[in-house]
Amino acid sequence: MKRPAILAVVLTVLGVFCASLAADAQGPIRIGASLSLTGTYAKPGKYQHEGYQFCQKELNAKGGLLGRKVEFVIYDDQSMPPTGVRLYEKLITEDKVDVVMGPYSSPITEAVANVTEKYKKVMVSPLAATTSIFKKGRKYMFMVISPAEVYLEGLVDTAARRGLKTVAIVNEDTLFSKAAAAGAADLAKKKGMQIVLTEAYPKGNTDFSALLTKIKAANPDVIAAATYFDDAVALTRQMRELNVNPKMYGVTVGGDLPEFYDLLKGNAEYIYGATQWEADLKYPGNKEWFEAYKAEFKREPVYHSAAGYAGCLIYAEGVKRAGSLDSDKVRDALLKLEIRTMFGDYKVDQDGFQTAHKMVTFQWQKEKKVIVWPDDLAQGKVLFPTPPWSGR
Amino acid sequence: MNIVITPAMIGQVIISGILSGVLYSMVALGLALIFGVMRIINVAHGPLLMLGAYTTFFLYSAFGLNPYLTVPISMAVLFVAGVVLERTLVFRVVDAPELSSLLLTFGISIALVNGAQLAFTSDLRAVEYITGSWVLGPFAFSKSRVIAFVFAGFLTGGAFLFLRSTRLGKAIRATSQSREVAMVCGIDVGKIHRLTFGLASALAAAGGALISVIVAIQPEMGQIWTFKSFLVIVLGGAGNYPGALLGGMLLGLIEQLASLFLTTQLSEVVAYVLLVLVLLVRPTGLLGGRQT
Repeated sequence: MKRPAILAVVLTVLGVFCASLAADAQGPIRIGASLSLTGTYAKPGKYQHEGYQFCQKELNAKGGLLGRKVEFVIYDDQSMPPTGVRLYEKLITEDKVDVVMGPYSSPITEAVANVTEKYKKVMVSPLAATTSIFKKGRKYMFMVISPAEVYLEGLVDTAARRGLKTVAIVNEDTLFSKAAAAGAADLAKKKGMQIVLTEAYPKGNTDFSALLTKIKAANPDVIAAATYFDDAVALTRQMRELNVNPKMYGVTVGGDLPEFYDLLKGNAEYIYGATQWEADLKYPGNKEWFEAYKAEFKREPVYHSAAGYAGCLIYAEGVKRAGSLDSDKVRDALLKLEIRTMFGDYKVDQDGFQTAHKMVTFQWQKEKKVIVWPDDLAQGKVLFPTPPWSGR
Repeated sequence: MNIVITPAMIGQVIISGILSGVLYSMVALGLALIFGVMRIINVAHGPLLMLGAYTTFFLYSAFGLNPYLTVPISMAVLFVAGVVLERTLVFRVVDAPELSSLLLTFGISIALVNGAQLAFTSDLRAVEYITGSWVLGPFAFSKSRVIAFVFAGFLTGGAFLFLRSTRLGKAIRATSQSREVAMVCGIDVGKIHRLTFGLASALAAAGGALISVIVAIQPEMGQIWTFKSFLVIVLGGAGNYPGALLGGMLLGLIEQLASLFLTTQLSEVVAYVLLVLVLLVRPTGLLGGRQT
């Protein structure tokens, strides 16, 4: 090889190198997160993952953020809090991601919050509903979904407005359900209702005969059940068997899944449930988002996808308003931000605790979830009171 | 919160207790058999029950079979599975220290549950076949639970007749009393072990099949049945077959009555406190251990 040729090669290499350096300065904003892609939470975790991916795609299609592309760096925490902690440490210190987003579930969020706070990283946590996480003096945490305490708000409020006086509250003896039951009890008292029975039952309980026998004797107008899924199904079946027939009966988690109706068929009719988000809620762009998501992932989104997507949007909005990625500036912007996305309203208090997002309450009517509360989002009227089991 | 407990409520709760008690007895009898004959605590008993439940679910959902007709099929399938498990794995730990058998069956249990999660996913499934109840005066009898009660009663009775009256049954009891003497008498102990494991798995499968009509099923449903069965056979006397029957009924009644008079949360506590008391007063269980 002759000298000029070598020179040319060197120059070319240098040129490419410099060009890539320049591109690096303009390189993508890297957003780190761990998600439960395997393990117990794999199902919701994957939906959240799709929410993040979809947000990345849409942001980039609109020219990115602060003129830079956006790129998620995501690891699998196997649904385990200690793994999440390790991964966030790695994301921040080794991968040196620019920013982070929250993982799936309250327990993992609670665990990794200690890491993100240590490095003063803003973390919008789209799928953590436990109040205490946000009430520990943490500075950079932001909540997106409604807290456990308000899951039964719609049921109790509707009951009070219909003049019902007595309520029985039952719950699975776990963190989330306890909080949901406590929230329902507080609200019922505030509305002047009398609580005739409260009782917790252990996780995995499948025989509610004795509990329901007591409830039947107490004869409440309303049964508010802070459930997960399998207990909601078992409780409903046994209510029918023992002919426990309150004027209103509502559950928390599980009641919103299509499987709930598949398993219970007609017995699910008239039952109230609560959900963070539904595809046909009239939030701005919700319908279009639903269709676009379906086209992208070949399946319908659930609220985990919607919350993940919305959380990412909210973070992006914070960055836009701050005009920088600086943690303190973004924090200030997010504290002031009030926005309505396809997921609903966002507004937080000084702790980053969500105060605006509304849980909606629906009632199963003719195989469909009809949103009946709050009034401004309602699609139909409640079928009230619930007829006897023989008449359903 | 003052709820007056009336006799009708107590009656209702006793009915529920008896209905579930027989199911406990039947499933626990399987565990008692394996312990009595092979001296193995089979931690995989619950997961085998889960497989029985899924067998019924798939036969029901894929072929539309009446779930109660699938009970014998589930039992047959799990009988074979039990025999295969014994022949390939469990026979290796029959004479090993107890820890080995615990570890092995624990391993089998984990493999079965995780395998089921992979194969069937963690989604809840249900055999929505019969709901509602028969009402008799102030009492309601859940249809699915009454039918399960009848099945469990017949199957448990059948198992006892088999153990008491047939040659094979006698051979099983003989092996359970003394393996050496049984061997000297010309009993093929290896065959008896396989048969026992198969029979026990079939009883668990029957439990799973019947439960699948009562509540929704998922791959992790079995573990709680391992615990309950264990509680039952220790209460009744480990290795004592009538003891398993008594223990099952007792557990069913205790759970329900404790839920009524105390809270649902405390019913498990009461059951385990009773277990500790029984072990303190009669360490061999209520009916004494290992006599047949």
